[in-house]
Amino acid sequence: MNVMQIAERATATATAKMTARGVQVHYGENHALKDVDVDILAGTVTAFIGPSGCGKSTFLRCLNRMNDTVASARVTGEIRLDGEDIYDRRVDPVTLRARVGMVFQKPNPFPKSIYENVAYGPRIHGLTRNRAELDQVVETSLRKAALWNEVKDRLQAPGTGLSGGQQQRLCIARAIATAPEVLLMDEPCSALDPIATAQVEELIDELHTQFSVVIVTHSMQQAARVSQRTAFFHLGHLVEYGETGQIFTNPRDPRTESYITGRIG
Amino acid sequence: MQIDKHILSAFDRDLEGVQALVMKMGGLVESAMLDAAQALDTIDTELAQRVWAGDRAIDALEEQIHNECARLLALRSPAASDLRTVLTVMRIATNLERCGDYAKNLAKRVPVLGDLPSLPGAVGSIRRMTRAVVLLLKDALDAYIARDVAIASDVRQRDQDVDQMYNAIFRELLTHMLEDMRNITPCMHLHFIAKNIERVGDHATGIAEQVIYLVTGAMPDEDRPKGTSLSALTGNPTE
Amino acid sequence: MTDASLPAAAPKSLLVADGRTRRRKAAETRFRLYGVAAIAIGLLALVFLLTSVLGNGVNAFRQTFVEIPVTLDEAVLDKTGTRDPKAMAKVTTVSYGKLIQQALEAELATRGIDTSALTEKQVMSLMSKEAPADLRRQVLADPLLIGQTITFDAFATSRVDGYFKGRVTMESASRDSNITPEQLVVAEAMAGAGLIETRWNWRFLTAPDASELRPEAAGLGVAILGSAYMMLIVLVLSLPIGVATSIYLEEMAPKNRWTDLIEVNIANLAAVPSIVYGILALALFINFMGLPQSAPIVGGLVLTLMTLPTIIIATRAALQAVPPSIRDAALGVGASKMQSIFHHVLPLAMPGILTGTILGLARALGESAPLLLIGMVAFVKDFPSAPPEGLMQPATALPVQVYQWTQRSDPAFVERASGAIIVLLTFLLTMNAVAIILRRRFERRW
Repeated sequence: MNVMQIAERATATATAKMTARGVQVHYGENHALKDVDVDILAGTVTAFIGPSGCGKSTFLRCLNRMNDTVASARVTGEIRLDGEDIYDRRVDPVTLRARVGMVFQKPNPFPKSIYENVAYGPRIHGLTRNRAELDQVVETSLRKAALWNEVKDRLQAPGTGLSGGQQQRLCIARAIATAPEVLLMDEPCSALDPIATAQVEELIDELHTQFSVVIVTHSMQQAARVSQRTAFFHLGHLVEYGETGQIFTNPRDPRTESYITGRIG
Repeated sequence: MQIDKHILSAFDRDLEGVQALVMKMGGLVESAMLDAAQALDTIDTELAQRVWAGDRAIDALEEQIHNECARLLALRSPAASDLRTVLTVMRIATNLERCGDYAKNLAKRVPVLGDLPSLPGAVGSIRRMTRAVVLLLKDALDAYIARDVAIASDVRQRDQDVDQMYNAIFRELLTHMLEDMRNITPCMHLHFIAKNIERVGDHATGIAEQVIYLVTGAMPDEDRPKGTSLSALTGNPTE
Repeated sequence: MTDASLPAAAPKSLLVADGRTRRRKAAETRFRLYGVAAIAIGLLALVFLLTSVLGNGVNAFRQTFVEIPVTLDEAVLDKTGTRDPKAMAKVTTVSYGKLIQQALEAELATRGIDTSALTEKQVMSLMSKEAPADLRRQVLADPLLIGQTITFDAFATSRVDGYFKGRVTMESASRDSNITPEQLVVAEAMAGAGLIETRWNWRFLTAPDASELRPEAAGLGVAILGSAYMMLIVLVLSLPIGVATSIYLEEMAPKNRWTDLIEVNIANLAAVPSIVYGILALALFINFMGLPQSAPIVGGLVLTLMTLPTIIIATRAALQAVPPSIRDAALGVGASKMQSIFHHVLPLAMPGILTGTILGLARALGESAPLLLIGMVAFVKDFPSAPPEGLMQPATALPVQVYQWTQRSDPAFVERASGAIIVLLTFLLTMNAVAIILRRRFERRW
C-alpha cells in the first residue's frame, strides 16, 4: 500500500506533457470518441485499456494526428503538446510526428537494411549533418532499444530478416531515432511471444525516464506491469483514469471493475 | 452495468469453491468454540477431546484454502474485486485457523480444570463471553457472505463489549485470587481461556475489517477504541 | 445448446466409408477429371497452333540463294571513273541486271550446265527480280568494289526456293505460269554444281517488305523497327502517365463520387474493343491534329491510350498490395505523404507495376486492329530514319505485316506470314519472361 502511495505521489507531481480536453472523434456517422479529457504526464508510462472498439487506439492516433490519414475521421476538442495545440492550422503533422513517435501493433520494419530503418527518420528530418553523426544516432537508438548487441555485426542485413521481437525493437529504435518526446505504442506486443513481450516491456520501463510513453494494450496484465497510470475506455468514453495500482486493486467505476475482472468484454 | 458472472465461468466456480471452503471452515470454528465452552461449563472431557481432535480438520481446511488461492492467483490473475476476494479469503482463513487453535487451547484446559476447585461464577461469565464472541464471529462471516459493510462495522463496535467482558472477568478472577490462594491455579487457567476468547473476538474483528476492505477497497481507519488497553489490566480501568 | 439437440452419433468404424462419403469422394474424382480434360484440350490447341505455325514458318528463316561470281565492270557502272556516288546513282538496275545475266550465263557455261531448253529470260528468272537492285545497293554502299570480281549472293526466285523447300514440285511447276519444269531441272543442276544453296537468311529479319512479285526478298525489318518505335512511345508515355494516375487515385484522391466515376470508367476503358481506339485515333490524331498517316507516332499514341487502363489497373493493384503498415510506419516517423509513397510504397510496388506495364506492352505489340484504321497497313519499303524524325515517317508493325502477307496471293507469303508470327510470338514470350523474372527477383516479402 505504501509503495503504491509513493508511486502515486511521484506521478502526481509530474508535469503534464500532453493535455487533451473535450476530444471527440467521428468516423463518418460513427461517434468513436466522446469528450475525452486526459493528461499525459512527462516521464510516465500511461496505458490505455478497454474492450475492442472502445476508442483507445483512436485516441492514441489523435495524439500524433495519424487520424489525418483516415479521410472520414473528424477530430474536435483540444490536444496540446507542451501547451501548443497540435490541431492548430499552422502545425505540420510531419514535425509533430517527429516529436510524438509511434510504434505499431504489427512489427513493420521497412524492407530495407537495419541501418536504413533506423537512419530513415533522422535523414528525412535532417537531424544529422554527416554520416558519422548518423552512424552515432543509429547506434544510440539501437542501444536504447536494447538491440545493438544483437545486430551490430549485421547492420546491412534486411530488417525483415529479424525475429518478431527483434523487429518490434527495431521499430522502437526507428521511432526513438528522431528523438521524440512522447512515444505512442499501439498494442506493441500483440504479435510477440512471451519472452519477446517481456523484453519489450523491460525496454518500455527503461525508456519512460526519457520519454512519455503511451501504450494501448489488450492485455490488462501488461498494462499493470508496465504502466504507472492507466486509462480505461469504454464505448468511446474515458471511464476512469488513475494510478495503475489503484485501477487494478480498487477501481472506482463499476464498468472498470467489470472489465478488469473479466466480466465484460 | 456490472454483471455478476465472469465471462470465464470456471473463474466463478473457482472463486465460489474457495469461498465455500471458508464458510465451511467458519462453521467448524463456530461449533468448536461452542463445544469448547460447553465442555468447560460441564467439565466434559470427552467433548473437549473431540474439539481437540477437530482442530486438525480446521488446519487442513486452512491449508486447502491457501493452496486453492495460490492456484487462483497463478491461473486466473484476479484483479480488483476478484483480487480482493482472494486476498480476504486467505486472511480470513488465517484468522479462522487461529480461532480454531484458541478453541483447541480451551479444550486442552478442560481436563486440568476438572481436577481443580471450581469457580462457577467465573465459568458462567466465560460462557457468556464465548456466546458473544461466537455471535461476533458468526456475524462477521455473515457480513462476508452478504458483503455487508454495516454488519461488519457493527461487529467492530461490538468487539468493545467483548473487551469489556474480558476486563470484567479479569477483575473477577483477580478478586478470586486475592480471596483464596488456592484459587490461583484455576484462575490463571481461566484467565488464559478468557484471554483466548477475547483474541477470537479480535480475529472476528479482523474478519469484519477484511469485509470492509473487500467491499470498499480500503482498510478501515484505526478509530476503534482499544478495549484491551493496558490500563484495564492494572485493575484500575480508566474507561 | 444441449447435447440432445445434436444428431445422435452412431458409433461406426473409421475403416468403413458410408454412402455419403463415397459420393463426395466420387464427385471430387469427377471434378479432377474435368480439370485434366480441360487442360488437355487447351494443350492440344496449343500444340496444333505451334506445329502449324512452326511447320509453315520455320522455312521463312531459310532461303535459297544463287551464288555466282560477278565482275563489276567499271565501264558499265562508273563511266566517269570518279567513283562519284551521284554519278553512279544514275546507273539503273537494268545495267546491273545485264551484268548479272552475263555473269550467270558465263558461270553456267563454265560449269557445263545445259541451258539449251531455256530462253535467256527463263535462265535469268531463276534469280529473284530483286537481284539487280541488291547488287546496285551493294555497289553504291561500297564504290571500291567496282572493277573487282565479287561473289554475289542473289535470292533464288520464290518458285525455285519453294522447290528446294519442297513446296513446289515438277508437277505443280508444269501448271505454273511463273516457272517451268525445265527451269527446275537447270536449278537442280546448279545446286549440284554448288551454285544454288539453301541456308539461314538474316535478311528476313532485316530487309524491308518487298512487292507481291518478289516474296523471296520480303523481310520484317521495317515492321520490327516500326513496332519498336511504337513500343518506345507507349513505354515513354503510358508508364509515367499510368503510374502518376494510379498514385493519385490510390493514395491522394479523396474517395468521392467523382473518383468512383473515374475508377469505373478506367475499368470500362480496359474492356473497350481496340478497333474503337483506332477510330478515335483516326478522328483525333489524323483528322483533327493532322499527324501523318502510317506513322509510328500515331500508332504509338493510340496504343498508349489502349494500354493506359491496363497499366493503371495493374499499378493500382500493386499499390494496394503494399501493406498499409508500411505507410503507417513511414508516416509514424514523420515522413510526408510524398516521402512515404516514393521512399517506401513505390519501390515495393515496382515489380508489380513493371509486370503490368510489360504485359500491357505485350498486348499493344500484338495489336493490329487500331493500326489498320490509322493507315499502318500501307506498303512501306523504306526504313524510317532514327527518332525523332523517324516517328513521323511511314512504317508498319509486326501484326499488320502478318495481316498484309496473308492477304497476298503468292503461296510463298504464307510461309513468310508464319515466320512473322514466330517472330512476334518470340517477342511476346520474351516480354512475358522478363515480366516473370522481374516479379520473381524483386518481389519482397514482408
